[in-house]
Amino acid sequence: MVSAVLIPVIVVSSIGAGLAAVLVACEHFIAAYGPCDVNVNNRRTLNVQGGKDLLSVLTAEKIFIPSACGGRGTCGLCKVKVNQGAGPLLPTEEPYLDEDEKKSGVRLSCQVKVRNDLKIEIPDELLAVREYVCRCDQIVDLTHDMKQFRLELREPEKIDYVPGQYIQLLTPAYEKSGEEVYRAYSISSDPAVEGAIELIIRLVPNGICTTYCFEYLDTGDEVRINGPYGDFRLSESDAPIVFIAGGSGMAPIKSMLHHMKNTNNKRSAVYYFGANKVGDLFLVDLMRRFESDLADFRFVPVVAEAESAESWDGETGLVTEAVERNLKNAPRCEAYLCGSPGMIDAAVSVLQKLGMSDDRIFYDKFA
Amino acid sequence: MKESPQARKLEEILRSSQLVAGGFMGYDTRPVSEIIESDCAEVSRLGQTVEQIAERMRLITEKAKQRLGCWTEIDASRRARVDEAKGFLVCPWSHPGRFAKRVTIVTTAATGQTIRWSDLNIHMIAEHCFFEGRGSAFRIEPGELVF
Amino acid sequence: MNIEIELSRALVVFVSAIFTQNILLAYFLGLCPFIGVSREIKTAFGLGLAVIFVMTSTSLLNWLAYHYVLEPLGLHFFRFILFIVIIAAFVQFTEMVVDRFSPVLYQNLGVFLPLITVNCAILGASLFMVIRDYGFIVTIGYGLGSGIGWFLAIIAMAGIRQKLANDRIPRGLQGAGITLIIAGIMALAFTGFTGVLQAR
Repeated sequence: MVSAVLIPVIVVSSIGAGLAAVLVACEHFIAAYGPCDVNVNNRRTLNVQGGKDLLSVLTAEKIFIPSACGGRGTCGLCKVKVNQGAGPLLPTEEPYLDEDEKKSGVRLSCQVKVRNDLKIEIPDELLAVREYVCRCDQIVDLTHDMKQFRLELREPEKIDYVPGQYIQLLTPAYEKSGEEVYRAYSISSDPAVEGAIELIIRLVPNGICTTYCFEYLDTGDEVRINGPYGDFRLSESDAPIVFIAGGSGMAPIKSMLHHMKNTNNKRSAVYYFGANKVGDLFLVDLMRRFESDLADFRFVPVVAEAESAESWDGETGLVTEAVERNLKNAPRCEAYLCGSPGMIDAAVSVLQKLGMSDDRIFYDKFA
Repeated sequence: MKESPQARKLEEILRSSQLVAGGFMGYDTRPVSEIIESDCAEVSRLGQTVEQIAERMRLITEKAKQRLGCWTEIDASRRARVDEAKGFLVCPWSHPGRFAKRVTIVTTAATGQTIRWSDLNIHMIAEHCFFEGRGSAFRIEPGELVF
Repeated sequence: MNIEIELSRALVVFVSAIFTQNILLAYFLGLCPFIGVSREIKTAFGLGLAVIFVMTSTSLLNWLAYHYVLEPLGLHFFRFILFIVIIAAFVQFTEMVVDRFSPVLYQNLGVFLPLITVNCAILGASLFMVIRDYGFIVTIGYGLGSGIGWFLAIIAMAGIRQKLANDRIPRGLQGAGITLIIAGIMALAFTGFTGVLQAR
């Protein structure tokens, strides 16, 4: 009687277990890809375990390819040129690549699975990017929604950057956000000051990173960043400079101004800083000091709507209107813009109207 | 109802904070398909289509955008303002497209009511009929957008 | 067991499984992926091949399991559980192979590859094999024939649907609706084959 129940149970269970064992063995031989070599720019060769996507593999080896969608194949930022070993183009990659890119072997690294040896090419600057462990040692309130964060570099202790570049700040998982996320911020500090960098961050409603920085980050906390990135920087020429930046867009400009002072740069410069209200202005004293320290620098704050209670006798209206009114020698100048996409578009069209050619307009586009 | 892996993944992303802090679902426990259906029904009941609503939102955002963060009158009783942050958002559905972090805020003087939306909201309403879950920071009731 | 008789019987069963007793169009088994993956010939082709592979192999594996494990122990009633377990394991294996050798096909098939497990045509073929008491060689013919029959049906459907892609179909009937109507018409056409072969 017992055996009548026991035997079938044993039989079916052992067949099930046997099949499971066979599948595990198959997976070991079929799905496992063994060690693979990834040759990066003919400069570095990574020896990794096959089977994962190229983006995770590179990130694990501290090569930071930009990505905004967490590897799902919807942001199109993680493009990498694969010269050898990529396999056929997947339908998920098609919408993001144009004909030239497809022909030259550009792929979305989050969709390319590492199954064999690969030869890839990435922009050289990405190879120079490193991860830094920092300690937040000062938080200064600049306005009601803007703070300046000073990060002391712990490991490594020095960062080599050109004023105008940005870093990516790692936001850890916290109460309002379950996953780690990277957000880009321009470096605002004086490049001559070693061992620490500063960031100017504006609180974005429901922003993952800014909410963390404003409500959870405290002095003494550890912060991880990687960088530096970006090719927004001052040119080598002598042409007069027009800076246009509002809000946290001041960050790279401030770093550039420090650098101009350090290197005794004699270029003429004017900085149009747009703010909605007088209360949105910040670091005005520092800008005034630059006016006296630099050879020929003028700071022009532009307040859009000065409230009647505040006394304001400076420029009013939109910053682009102020530029249009005051800039006289546009064709000879170079423009450096940093701000929201809307402001940059408006500023570019005003500068073009004033006769500035496109190759003299530089802007920091995170988007 | 059995969900395909795509639908399950979508729901997971909407509830997580991978794209925006707090996710898109607020405290709403209903499945996404139910939320979309009930909001779609509400829109039809109000005699509109999601395309009409999205188009009006787009026009308001365009107009307010010109003023770079200052208030603009959009009709007799309403003003609008646009706040922009750097960077962009991707849509939780898996298709290409980047949306600027541009938030349009509209206030009605008479009632004191304030609604706000981002460029991503306009897209999600137009293409996916998704107004976000109840309790989400950027949820808008379809009724509030009909004026 | 006379090999010649078995082989000729296998041939008859093979041909009838494709035409007169098409497991999809005559028995209506395996309709879910039939409707879901028949939009494009390319993907239907890939899925059809996978189904042929799974159906033939699982019919054989199930035959072996039934005659050498269940029958000796008198556990015929366990065939449902055992067949499904074997089919599930085999489909997992097939998934691994497809992913390894054709990632593009793997992506295109998406959820329908693991869904082959619950494709009732696969289980149906194994159960028919038991009910009709087919020998080993005949089972080869039957499994292969049923698979090819299913493959033919889905390719034909994909071809028809691709042709209809630009035609105006009433909104209520778009998608599954028109597909079922087409399937019904195809089934009607295939009943024309009944009586051509007497397969037992």
